[in-house]
This record gives sequence, C-alpha cells and structure tokens, in this order.
Amino acid sequence: MSAHQDGGPPTAGRGAGDRAPALEIRRMTVSYGARPVLWDVDASFPAGRLSAIVGPNGAGKSTLLKAALGLIPADAGQTLVEGRPVGAARDRVAYVPQRDAVDWDFPITVREVVEMGRYAPTGWFRRVPRRDAALVDDCLERVGMGDFRGRQIGQLSGGQRQRVFIARALAQQAPLLLMDEPFSGVDARTEASILELLAALRDEGRSIVVVHHDLGTVRGAFDHALLLNVRAVAEGPVAEVVTRETLARAYGAGADAVGRDAGEALSWAG
Amino acid sequence: MGWLIDLLPLNYSDAVVAIGAALLGIAAGALGVFAVLRQRSLVGDALAHAALPGVCVAFLATGAKDATTLLVGAALAGLVGALLMVGIERTSRVRPDAAIGVVLSSFFSLGIVLLTHIASTNDANQAGLDTYLFGQAAGLLERDLDVMAVLAVVALAVVALAFRPLKTTLFDPAFAGAVGLPVRLLEIFMTMLLVVAVVIGLRTVGAILMVAMLVVPAVAARQLCNRLSLLIPLAALIGAAVGVAGALIAARAEVPTGPVIVLVGFAVVLATVLLAPGRGVLWRGRKLARDRRRALVEGVLVDLETTIHAGPPPTPRELALASGRPRRQVARALSALDRAGMLARDGERIHLTESGAAAAHAVLERRDLWSAWLEHGWKLRLPDAREPDPTDLRASLGDDCADELRRLALAGDGGGAAGDAGQGAR
Repeated sequence: MSAHQDGGPPTAGRGAGDRAPALEIRRMTVSYGARPVLWDVDASFPAGRLSAIVGPNGAGKSTLLKAALGLIPADAGQTLVEGRPVGAARDRVAYVPQRDAVDWDFPITVREVVEMGRYAPTGWFRRVPRRDAALVDDCLERVGMGDFRGRQIGQLSGGQRQRVFIARALAQQAPLLLMDEPFSGVDARTEASILELLAALRDEGRSIVVVHHDLGTVRGAFDHALLLNVRAVAEGPVAEVVTRETLARAYGAGADAVGRDAGEALSWAG
Repeated sequence: MGWLIDLLPLNYSDAVVAIGAALLGIAAGALGVFAVLRQRSLVGDALAHAALPGVCVAFLATGAKDATTLLVGAALAGLVGALLMVGIERTSRVRPDAAIGVVLSSFFSLGIVLLTHIASTNDANQAGLDTYLFGQAAGLLERDLDVMAVLAVVALAVVALAFRPLKTTLFDPAFAGAVGLPVRLLEIFMTMLLVVAVVIGLRTVGAILMVAMLVVPAVAARQLCNRLSLLIPLAALIGAAVGVAGALIAARAEVPTGPVIVLVGFAVVLATVLLAPGRGVLWRGRKLARDRRRALVEGVLVDLETTIHAGPPPTPRELALASGRPRRQVARALSALDRAGMLARDGERIHLTESGAAAAHAVLERRDLWSAWLEHGWKLRLPDAREPDPTDLRASLGDDCADELRRLALAGDGGGAAGDAGQGAR
C-alpha cells in the first residue's frame, strides 16, 4: 500500500507521450436485457490530460464509467488504470458519482463526507491520523467549502453539493479522477469555478475524465474527447473529435432526431 | 443479569420485563437505523413475519418449547426470507416492494397454518406459542435475558467495528464500490443485523408488530439529530425508553406487549414529527407562513410604490386591480403595513410615509441586486462557495461586492453588443 509516494499525483511537467494511458477501456460491452447500451467500446484517456466523454442522451456515457469501475456488470470488456487491471489499482482512482445517486437528507455533515475519501487510504478500521484531518480541511478549502464543514449536507445547494463530492475525490489523492456529469444542474458560477479547478489539477499532473453533456464547453475547456453513441464514434484531441462530420455520426444530423445540443455544437464546430 | 435485577427499584417480574424490553429497544433501535436509512423499513417487517414459521418448525422438530431453540428457528427462517427477497429482486424483474410483499405474506401464512396445526395436536406443551404473534413481555425468564444481552452486545460491537464501511455503503454505494468495498456483501450483512434485532424482539413484541421497534426509534431520532454517529445511540435510547414504558404498562394491564409498545412509540414519533426543531411539521409550518406573509407584504409595498410613482395615490380596491392580487390579500398586507407605520391614509386613498417609501426602495434594491447576482454573480469570482442569502444580499456579500454587482448589471444593460463580442472570442 505504501508503494506510491504518499498517494500524490504523478510528477508534473512530463509530456503525456511517455506515460501509460491513465485509463484504458477495451471492448467494453454492456446490455440491459436485449438492448445494447455499450458495444465494443475501446477508449484510451491520456495521462495528465483533461478528457471529456460526450454523446447524446442514452449514449451510455455514465454506463461506461460505471462499467469501467466494475460498479455494474459488463458482458465483456477490460479496464486498465495506468496499465494495471482496475481491481488492482483502486487506490489510483477517485470516482465522483452523479449527485442524485445519493440521499441528500442522509444524516451526515460536509466534513464527514470528505473524510470518506480518506477511509480507504488509511484503512477502514484505523483512526484517521491527524495529517489526514488537515488534508480533509485543505480539500474543503480548495473547493471553497471551508466555511461549510459542519453543515448537514441537506442544507447545501446543488453547486455546493457538487463541490463536496469533488473535495472527497481530492481527499483520496488519486492521480486519476473520474467524474459523472459534474455540471448537470449546477449554476454557471459553480461550473466556471469547477472547470478552473479541473484545469489546475491537470496542470499538477493529474488525469481527469469527465462525463459531460454540454458540447458547447468541450472545445474550450478539454484537451481530449471520446464521442460516444453506444459505440465509440471518435476519440482523440478535442479539435479532431468535435467536428461536423463526427457529430453528425453520433447525433444523426439531418435526421429529425438532431438534438438542440447537437445543433449548438455544430455551430461551434463550423 | 441477576445483579441488574437486584439493582432496579422494581419487583422481580417487573425488573425482568423492564430489562428485556430495554435490551430489545437498544438493539432494535440501533439496528433499525440500517433499515430506515436504506429506505428498506419494510424489509424488517418481512423478516419479522418470516420468523414465525421458523418458530413453529423448530417446535415441531424438537418438541421442546425452549426459547433459545425456537429463536434459532426464527433466525434461520428470517435468513431464508431475507435471501429470498434479495434473490427475487436480483434475478427477476420484480421490484423490491413487491418482493417484500410476496415473502412477508407467504411466510406469515405458512406460520399461521403451522400454528393452527400445532394447536390441533393438543400437545400440552404447545400452549403459549401464539405469544410469538403479538408478544408477551411478562413471559420472559431471567435466562432469556442472557441470550438477548449476548446477541445485542455482539451485534452492536460489530456495528461499531464496521462503522465506516457501513456508513459509506449506506450513504453512497457507488462510491463505496469504486473504492473497493464489497457493497453487496455489506448490504446482506445489514439485513443480517435486522434478523438479529428481530430475534431479540420476537418474544417481547411479536412477529406482527416487530417492525415498529425497528422503525419508530430511527424515525424519531432522525427528527432530532443530523449525524449518523449520534443517530444510532439516540435511536437505541429512544427504543429502550419506548420498550420499557410499553412493556411495563402491558404487564400491569395484562394485554399483549406488542400493541402497547407500538402505541407508546407512535406517541413519540408523533411528538417528534410535529415538534422537532428545524424538521418538525409545526416549526416548518410557522416558517412557511412567515415567509409567505413577508412575500405578500413586500409585494404589495412594491406595487403601491409603483402605482404612486405612476399616478395619483390609489384606493385599496384600485391597488388590488392594478396589481392583479385578490382584494382580501391586499387588505391584509395593507393593514400590516399600516401597523408598521408605513402608510398614510387620505380618506380612501393611500400614501406611503417616509419610512414606507424607504422600505419599498430597499425591497426594490434587494430584488435588483438578486437579479444582478443571478446574471453576473459568477463574474465576481468569489473565493469560496458562499451562496448569499437572497433576502439580504448586501449584508451577506458585503458592500464592495454589492456595488460591483450593480455596476455589472448597469454595464450589462447598456453594453449588450460588446458583451456578445467578448463571448464569441472566448
């Protein structure tokens, strides 16, 4: 457990080329009954980059993250974190679930939620050491929630809840961050400050993969993207992925089914 | 347990009843939290009902009415019922509530059939098995207490030991799975804890009403406390109090214990649901009424100020027409404003006094500031996640930020084109 240096992010400054991909997904296939949700999806998210998983509603974006982490059963597929199977690298991954996945009336304070990020690294049955307590406070400060540590989580706004979840992930000190729809239903101010925080984390050398629904901000904020619609439609640097042609393939432009999102994205891509 | 019985200022049989009920209350109260917070309260109900055929089968198999043997049967039947529910839920498309309904009713029916069969055999030994239906605290023996105490201590010790994995799984199963906790195993384990609670309480409260001892303390405690680490002991305490009060009353009145305990518990839940500070119905109702009244009065004040600004002072009727509010509401708001010294009447017509005009302007400023915050707030780059109080933005943000917001709002209204250009270049 002590092999990685204090769980800190890997050395910053090195190019992405000489590191194993932070997250590699091979031939991931998931179905609910006869309906395929993911079909032979291959994806490789580079280390030290900010990556987005985009695609229309029902494309399987969240399912891909959950299946990659083994949270839902997959029909087939393999997940590698830094070249190792995900089961052997749990301490290298911090997962931020969708906000509505939990009961926000649960009797727990903001600080306790963030402390959860330290349970696995320190051991589930050990007392939380003092330096971990300091780390928890630092993580709360970093997302701007320092003044809220004693609050019951039900009293928070949507944006503040998202910040708490991110603080918990930071407390895990894992080099890879997987986030499921962190921007859905948060205000513009929170979205801006979370994007800024993610960019800073990336610059410190962490790898971040975000399930994202807003194609409008993908080009400006992210380095790398996977365009998903049950199959992997395109993957690579954002500028190459978010183009008229690939979006048309993912969203079916020209058909009646073109979403508002896709329309906006096309005007961006054009 | 002898020393404890001697210690209590009660006669022997009352002391046994009180200790038994307290043990039951502590165990069921603490462990029931795991059912209520998972929103699986009825799993506890199903487990209690499922225990009944277990008691009967154990009796038929051994022929002895030894409590420990019968409770082992109850535990085994509860486990089978629990696994059946989980199995139905996982392998079929049956929803959890339906799975609970199926298991509860079929196990209980089997129990009733077996009870009737046992009664018809005329075995002198069988008398009293039906106390497992509604419970009979007065029938507890001193050695039953030892069994209950051991079970309770073991279950609570395990909860204390595994508190963090349990808490994490309860709150956020997806996160728990991602950090490598065996979530399914822990969920089954929580159901096992309920089985233990049922076994402890079955003789005292009975199969039908056992669910109350699992749910009542957790619900009442949740009204009063916001932290899981306090919630569990508090629920245990409430459970013990409810159990002892109910069991002693029942023992005196010679009625089955289960119903009396449940009625006592209901009184406690009713009190906490109504009165708990912050969460209680009355507390929230008063706050809601206050907020609505305030919104109405401020709205009418602003309407009045705009009407006066545009023309002659209105009569209450004209004001109601102009603002599109019901006349009764306008009249109520006006009398409140009058009492606050904000109105001056000129026959039928209404003016604002100096303080009234100031109050109206303050409300308008607050509203403008709030709109400005919603539109431009993110540009302030506040260093933290503060979310200002909508009723008093200036106080919660500070004057500097409020003035900056006003400036941004004014600039935004005038310079729309420039703003758009800035967006495009981003």
